[in-house]
Amino acid sequence: MRDDAAAGDGLHVQLRSNGPVPLDLELRCAPGQVLALVGASGAGKTTALRCIAGLHRPGAGLVRCGGQTWLDTAAGIDLAPHRRAAGLVFQDYALFPHMTALANVIAGMGHLPRRERAKRACGLLSLVRLDGMEGRRPAELSGGQQQRVALARALARDPAVLLLDEPFSAVDRPTRRALQADLARLRRQLAIPVVLVTHDLDDTLLLADAVAVLDAGQVLQHGPPAEVARHPVSPRVAWLLGTEAPSPAPFPMQPQQTRQHARGRA
Amino acid sequence: MDWPALRLSLVLAAATVALLLPPAVWLGRVLAYRRFPGRGLAEVLVALPLVLPPTVAGYALLLLFGTGSAFGRAAASVLGHPLAFSFEGLLLASVLVNVPFAVQPVQNSFAAVPRNVREAAAVSGMSPWRALLRVELPLAWPGIVVAAALTFAHTLGEFGVVLMVGGSIPGQTRTAAIALYDRVQAFDDRGAVLLAAVLLGVSLVALLLTNLLSRQVGRRTLHA
Amino acid sequence: MSLRRRSLLLAVPALLPGLAARAQGIGQDGPALVAAAADLQFVLEEIAARFRADTGLDVKLVFGSSGNLARQAEQGAPFQILMSADEGFVFRLAERGAARDRGALYAEGRIVVFAPLGSPLQVDERLDGLRAALDAGQVARFAIANPEHAPYGRAAEEALRSAGLWDRVQPRLVLGENIAQAMQFATTAGAQGGIVALSLARAPQTQGRGTFAVLPDTWHRPLLQRMALLRPAGAVAERFYAYMQAPAAREIMRRYGFVLPGEVQ
Repeated sequence: MRDDAAAGDGLHVQLRSNGPVPLDLELRCAPGQVLALVGASGAGKTTALRCIAGLHRPGAGLVRCGGQTWLDTAAGIDLAPHRRAAGLVFQDYALFPHMTALANVIAGMGHLPRRERAKRACGLLSLVRLDGMEGRRPAELSGGQQQRVALARALARDPAVLLLDEPFSAVDRPTRRALQADLARLRRQLAIPVVLVTHDLDDTLLLADAVAVLDAGQVLQHGPPAEVARHPVSPRVAWLLGTEAPSPAPFPMQPQQTRQHARGRA
Repeated sequence: MDWPALRLSLVLAAATVALLLPPAVWLGRVLAYRRFPGRGLAEVLVALPLVLPPTVAGYALLLLFGTGSAFGRAAASVLGHPLAFSFEGLLLASVLVNVPFAVQPVQNSFAAVPRNVREAAAVSGMSPWRALLRVELPLAWPGIVVAAALTFAHTLGEFGVVLMVGGSIPGQTRTAAIALYDRVQAFDDRGAVLLAAVLLGVSLVALLLTNLLSRQVGRRTLHA
Repeated sequence: MSLRRRSLLLAVPALLPGLAARAQGIGQDGPALVAAAADLQFVLEEIAARFRADTGLDVKLVFGSSGNLARQAEQGAPFQILMSADEGFVFRLAERGAARDRGALYAEGRIVVFAPLGSPLQVDERLDGLRAALDAGQVARFAIANPEHAPYGRAAEEALRSAGLWDRVQPRLVLGENIAQAMQFATTAGAQGGIVALSLARAPQTQGRGTFAVLPDTWHRPLLQRMALLRPAGAVAERFYAYMQAPAAREIMRRYGFVLPGEVQ
């Protein structure tokens, strides 16, 4: 099912896969918008991000971004990750351990002339508030600092979409607040779609323009976060949206608890 | 001190490393990163010389190199002399026998590069070639040095296969290890001790280097 | 294969022997490569030194068991002369066309019973000492060369059988890959003695390592040592072949206990 009208410069994703992580979903995100993917572990959130970046090939699917087709299994198109302009911030940052922060950011600038790279890299590190840290190696940086380097590196290649995989899960509260503020500030400046994978409702409400609730590879509900939180279409959605820990089995909660839970959080 | 034998051993070891290392780096990387049907078989074949008795390997190579086999005849016509009992035959045998020593450290070293670091390289826009040069090799090079050191030391000590395939032709196939054997039979204790000391010294140096660098491999990739 | 590709293919392996063999110059005009039975280990070194001094030409020596060396020659080893301790190996090579002709007899060998210093074994030409030591249970290990491919090993077995001692000694045997290695085993403290070549026992390098007694030549088939020029033989090899049959070399052989063709002990 193709929908060319809605493609434009934004992100349009259709993924279908039988396993090992089952997927059957469709996502859209316009430039300048932040889409949060919420769900329990194993729901396919990270897999979906990896499909967009080209690190995982679904059984069947379509990925269009910035007017380009990156994946179209029906047409036999499958661009390698280094040919897609996707900026991905890994859950554990995945910085190059043998390079300084500056070199890590420059690594993503293969498309720029050599002369400009250092200057732009410094600029990006400044943007994420890491002035003065250019010469440090990842081992010499804190978790929050490493993540910001990873963010700068993702932005270094002028991506057409920014993908963030659980960016706040490994840091403490104060750092998380600071990072959320950074992202909120940045997304106004970047005119690209941003997809944020998280299992925390706070991030969703603070940053996202839209949320898609994933369960077993399917989108149960999507829409503006406040709306979805207030009007979950099923107890399961409410439970997934409100939970901060992965659920062992999809047991629906009692209707009583669901309303209270949603009210408390919304 | 049998200098020609020592020189022959050093030349053989260096030539083996030079010939074997590039394909070993390629193969080690493929085995570390790619899944393909027959990969298990490939790993078994790579490891085979480790467990194969040297005399079995020597015998198999002797059959392969001899004029009874098509390969042996072809090689003899190209070289102008039989492959067995020649330096070329020794070099070929040495390359084959050293495959696990060259491939396995490289494979381990590449495999130790965290998967997400490699993925980050691809996602950052690096072509596979650039990722190899800028990310993988800088992290995996200790394994390559270990492979070179082990291959070198192992070649110096190789005896059974060399004796069967090469005989003990002075200047062509009488390596230091075989010369040592000959010195003992000639009741030349002094000559034997000298050769043994040199061979032992080189082995220790290779082992020291291997040890130092193996620790480096872990340390480099730990802080991702 | 195109000429260009062929020359390229030749260039690679051509570099390699250049690394190793060039300095040695092994080939038709360089030093002759002589494959010699291990019992000639010391005597041939002396003769080769004389040869170099007399003629200015060089020979390179490879020692081993006659059977092994003959097999290697058949398989294409670049030997130019084979000096075997047994005629049969030379005849075989001649029949297969690996040798120029059926060669020449250059010596007859003798075996001795040997006991290293400190061994309880008493040596004598009737092997009575060995018999006594066996009776007393003093022989743990006895060294001979491998009878399957070493002529001196075969002779040792025949001698032991002639003395009626083979069955008793056999469980105690340690086999050397060639007679020189057997000599090695016999002189180290591990073995109480062995049957080795007279030429090895007479050599200066082994003096003082033990005692020996020559065994009767009627106890074994004669060790007819034959040599032949092989197919790769060049001019230097031919000169050495002739030198071996000349008086100077024969005198040295005599000193090491060999019986020379045409002479009686």
